[in-house]
Amino acid sequence: MDEEFEPKILMIACNWCSYAAVDLAGTSRMKSPHNIRIIRVMCSGRVDPQFILEAFANGADGVIVAGCRLGDCHYIEGNYKTLRRMTLLKKLLEQLGIEPERFRLEWISSADAKKYVEVATDMVEKLKKLGPLKIRFDELKKVIEEVREIE
Amino acid sequence: MSEEIRIGVYICHCGTNIAGTVDVEEVAKYASTLPNVVVARNYVFMCSEPGQQMIKDDIKKYNLNRIVVAACSPSLHELTFRNVLKEAGLNPYLFEMANIREHCSWAHIDRRKATEKAKDLVRMAVAKARELEPLEEIKVEVSKKALVIGGGVAGLRAALDLARAGFTVYLVEKRPVLGGHTARIPLIRYLGVRGDDLIRSIVKELVSLPNVKIFTNSEVISLEGGVGGFKAKIRVRPRYVDARCTLCRECEKVCPVKTSNEYEYGIGERKAIYLPYEGCYPSIYIIDPEICTRCGECVKICPVKAVDLDEKERFEEVVVGTVILATGFDPYEPEKGELGYKLSDRVITLFQLQRILDEKGPTKGKLVVNGGVPRSIVFISCVGSMGTSPRAGRYCSRMCCSTIMSSALRIRDILPDSYIYILHKDIRTYGYDEDLYWRSLERGVRFVRYEEMPEVKVSGEKISVIVRDVTIGDYIEIPADLVVLGVGMAQSKYLREVLSVVRVSCGDEGFVKEAHPKLRPVDAASEGIYLAGAVTGPKSVIESVIHGSAAAARASTVLSKDYVFAEPIIAKVDEDLCSGCLICIGMCPYNAISVKQLNDRRVANVNPVLCMGCGTCAAACPSGAMQQQGFKDKQIFAQIKVFSR
Repeated sequence: MDEEFEPKILMIACNWCSYAAVDLAGTSRMKSPHNIRIIRVMCSGRVDPQFILEAFANGADGVIVAGCRLGDCHYIEGNYKTLRRMTLLKKLLEQLGIEPERFRLEWISSADAKKYVEVATDMVEKLKKLGPLKIRFDELKKVIEEVREIE
Repeated sequence: MSEEIRIGVYICHCGTNIAGTVDVEEVAKYASTLPNVVVARNYVFMCSEPGQQMIKDDIKKYNLNRIVVAACSPSLHELTFRNVLKEAGLNPYLFEMANIREHCSWAHIDRRKATEKAKDLVRMAVAKARELEPLEEIKVEVSKKALVIGGGVAGLRAALDLARAGFTVYLVEKRPVLGGHTARIPLIRYLGVRGDDLIRSIVKELVSLPNVKIFTNSEVISLEGGVGGFKAKIRVRPRYVDARCTLCRECEKVCPVKTSNEYEYGIGERKAIYLPYEGCYPSIYIIDPEICTRCGECVKICPVKAVDLDEKERFEEVVVGTVILATGFDPYEPEKGELGYKLSDRVITLFQLQRILDEKGPTKGKLVVNGGVPRSIVFISCVGSMGTSPRAGRYCSRMCCSTIMSSALRIRDILPDSYIYILHKDIRTYGYDEDLYWRSLERGVRFVRYEEMPEVKVSGEKISVIVRDVTIGDYIEIPADLVVLGVGMAQSKYLREVLSVVRVSCGDEGFVKEAHPKLRPVDAASEGIYLAGAVTGPKSVIESVIHGSAAAARASTVLSKDYVFAEPIIAKVDEDLCSGCLICIGMCPYNAISVKQLNDRRVANVNPVLCMGCGTCAAACPSGAMQQQGFKDKQIFAQIKVFSR
């Protein structure tokens, strides 16, 4: 029998709020799904949209970018920049045929361990229903080349 | 070609904290198969002395040049291990940590899956380690000055301690006078000291010191830079009355505008030109610009010409090495109708009662309600605390039980025939205050324990309190002439404003969060900023004083140095790659990037002192010329590439 599909999720979290929230969830012994791997950056403003594309190209079934709550950014307004970049990225992902459920932008304060657990649980549930990422970037590259040839 | 990369990987058991859920041996074995890993070990406590020695020995023995420790969160021990590298002669930034405790063993139960996740995290850390580069810490000269924000008892204590140690102190208080809520407490329990006397004794010494500058009626409107060299801009709002004021009171008599007196918590009124209270510092009248009609009566009558309605605000800039945040709290403000509040003059808060019981207060210490002496007095505890209402905090406010009981005992002294009830959820007269509880019992104060919040019924002049007494399991109705709501502490209503200037983070109860509750209880998460008093949560006067001294001691550890070293994780431009598009300039929240002329072209240039290391410029750079040290594109991509193996 097939094993249940376990989605692989990459989360890029800012040092001050969301990374600390995941720490707090652990310290409080809250149980969260094991599917999430976290990369720490100082600010969500560091997140280049390319990181997310690269994650999907390297086997991620889902990606979460998490920062401080709007207005609470440790670097004044970094998360507003994230918001703008990720809003554009969402449109791009759609164009590429990546379902919107696979990418989330979340604001999680350092005290909001509960929110992290909720976001993680919800995402895993949704991705289990959705199944693995269907489009792979090597295929995508092929498609682009085919289109070029037709032109 | 560059030197060969030789990585040592260390998997910590953290006793059973990690090893209980993660198969550490398997993870270590797995790590040893990763490229460039020369040695991989597991050990019971990597942060212990022998654990650290193991790394140092291995660095020598195997000629290691990158270290990965898989253990707890980097917020706990990244610094510890960096120092290990330093002591072993390696650059401390050739270190990477994998968080397999908070993010793995503590979060999961399934041993198999937790072990697989730990392997992934180690693989990602090793991948980043391969790309790490040595970094030089940034040396910052320390300005031997401190900025204290908030002139309540905690801020005053911190300021005094620092000033006594010889450092220059700038104290900024938003209100026109120093002393905060403490100055309005008639008697501080078992010290036998009045709050205003306590404040006066600190202020008296503080103003006598030449290295202290006090700004009242002022606020910090911007704070730039970091530990060692913060640049603060202070707005000094006009008082409209200068130091020539002789307190003759003539202006107050002629002023036609009245408002409720916030210094008496709304008991009684004050004029638009007023002295907050007797013996305050500075003892100078002030005009409240919010309500002043600029009629000019005060200007005309002032015998010493101290009033100037055209006074303008002014700004001052100071450079300081550290900042102490001591912005305190505000009492929980019940909504209108909550437990009868504001439906009757017979329902008051504990803070208001304290002012009424003060011999120097608005009623000169006489307990009179609506012209009569109350016979039945009901206190309700935990209003705004302990999750008793949807708006209430879940925390205990620490001071209300004791204050309720000391007030009850005071009422017992002045009104021996009264009936006094304390409706309580719990009794938390911790420490020496337990004596107040016993004395209250001895002197006939009646205690009724509730689980569901009592109800206060107001019908005209008649008030009754209905409460389900837990001990008899039934509802009782108590007729009351006076109901006192034991309101707790909530975050300062100005905290939001303060947080937009001073970058510290809040917990979910709205108070500022310390870097670590046990290891760094008065440090903010940002280097060089310390926290004093009720800004981090409810505290008694005594606890706030202790906290103020603690924050001053922590600040001294920076101020006593000539230099501090800042983390070099800042942005850096590769001038060969930079096309001079200057998109980064608009991104930087600190104005740290400028244009530099390089022969015939222009490139971006980062000021390392102003850069705080957020990396948003690096994310925006289209050519990859702008890179954040320690978080370079190639380092993050390395992690992403191996994340699902």
